[in-house]
Amino acid sequence: MREAARSGLEVILVDIWEGTEPRPEVERFCDMWGIKGPILLDPGAELAGALGVRGVPTNVVVDSDGTIRAFGAARLDELEQAIDDLYGRG
Amino acid sequence: MAVTGERDDPAFPVGAACRIDSRSPWREIAEIAVGLDPEGIAVDNLRRRAFVACSRSDFVSVVDLESHEVIAEIATGAEPIDIGLDEETGRVFSADAHSDQVTIIDSATLEVETALPVGGYPSGLTHVPEFRRLYVGNSLGSTMSVIDLDTLETVATVDAEPGAGAIGVDPTRRLAICVNFVAASANFYDADSFEEIGRLELGTGTCAIGIVPERGEAFIVNSIAGTVSRVDLDAIEVVEEIRTGQAPVGLTVAPAHDRVYVTNRGAGSLSVLGVADGAEWSQIPVGHGPGGVVVDPRNGQILVANAGSQTISIVEDLLAARPPAPVVEPPSPFIGDQLPPFALEDYWTGERKTNRDWAEKKYILNFFASW
Repeated sequence: MREAARSGLEVILVDIWEGTEPRPEVERFCDMWGIKGPILLDPGAELAGALGVRGVPTNVVVDSDGTIRAFGAARLDELEQAIDDLYGRG
Repeated sequence: MAVTGERDDPAFPVGAACRIDSRSPWREIAEIAVGLDPEGIAVDNLRRRAFVACSRSDFVSVVDLESHEVIAEIATGAEPIDIGLDEETGRVFSADAHSDQVTIIDSATLEVETALPVGGYPSGLTHVPEFRRLYVGNSLGSTMSVIDLDTLETVATVDAEPGAGAIGVDPTRRLAICVNFVAASANFYDADSFEEIGRLELGTGTCAIGIVPERGEAFIVNSIAGTVSRVDLDAIEVVEEIRTGQAPVGLTVAPAHDRVYVTNRGAGSLSVLGVADGAEWSQIPVGHGPGGVVVDPRNGQILVANAGSQTISIVEDLLAARPPAPVVEPPSPFIGDQLPPFALEDYWTGERKTNRDWAEKKYILNFFASW
């Protein structure tokens, strides 16, 4: 995620699968990890389901025209590669 | 009804005589709803039950392994994460992370017997019948508690490192290994004196361990690094890094010790890794966000706790040996497609946000859960 930030990408967190009211859980999570960026709540996993998300974390890299360029990319090297590909580097 | 995987794999050796005649390397037996955020699982072979630590529900779900129904929910302390069962005493132990305790349940009556205080945020435990010991990794306390399985007395509290959790024990070498998630390390102790005899730096997010004593090896999961480290227990050194599916978190050694099963929290799958060759033989789809994994000693079926689905999956690994073709994770079919339209609540403002709020920008959607 730091690599993404360095690239000027916005990283939008999407909370899913809490199984309970998500706000208190997200609050605790943000306090613990010092998270301040954008967070969306998807308690019914509607977007996650539409994308076939099966696990967390899952990163979906979206281009400026709305095209999905990468999916998954949980490992740092995979995410770095996805960002490089998005910007046509390397 | 059992469902057989339909993956179109090339021909490879499939199962022993008792297994089904199928080209698929796996079979789904059942998926059973339990409490919120199930993590650890223990099997009561005598009574044919599974005990599932449901950390967000503060109870243990008891599943009948013949009917596949939940027959009881046993209240524990706050946030039970890991769980184990001692067949000799019939006691079930749950590590209640937010209560800094281990709850002890009588597996016959399903009543809570007592609770023992341990260190801060116990998140992993293992019991060793040969030593009559229960080992508990205390993440915030950075310690390992050692409890006598019979007297329930704490016989030692040993310094470990931040994020102490999963513990592996090699009875033949009389070695106890504490895996530290935050420190990304493992401490090696003499199991009798508790003297630290070695330490390893590992990949980030170390969180599970399995031992194959006859090979003198441990397999340690590095969740954030996305690997499993093969560790030589005599030399105390990493000899191989094995890649798995996305965000591995749980691991157990198959009864035959020829393979290990690794849950991939980021992929909703279970990797089958060959012990001898270090290759990924197969990936078995399970529920969402899988974590804890254990093998039923009666029939070899694999039980997986799915934190995202709030279920346990019971699956069967049908591979007799390593298949000729390596595992290839297919890319998402959505790559190259337009992101589906969405309208989701912004946690900070309560406003609805849609694709249009990020129009003409490059961005990453990071799907996460707080557990």
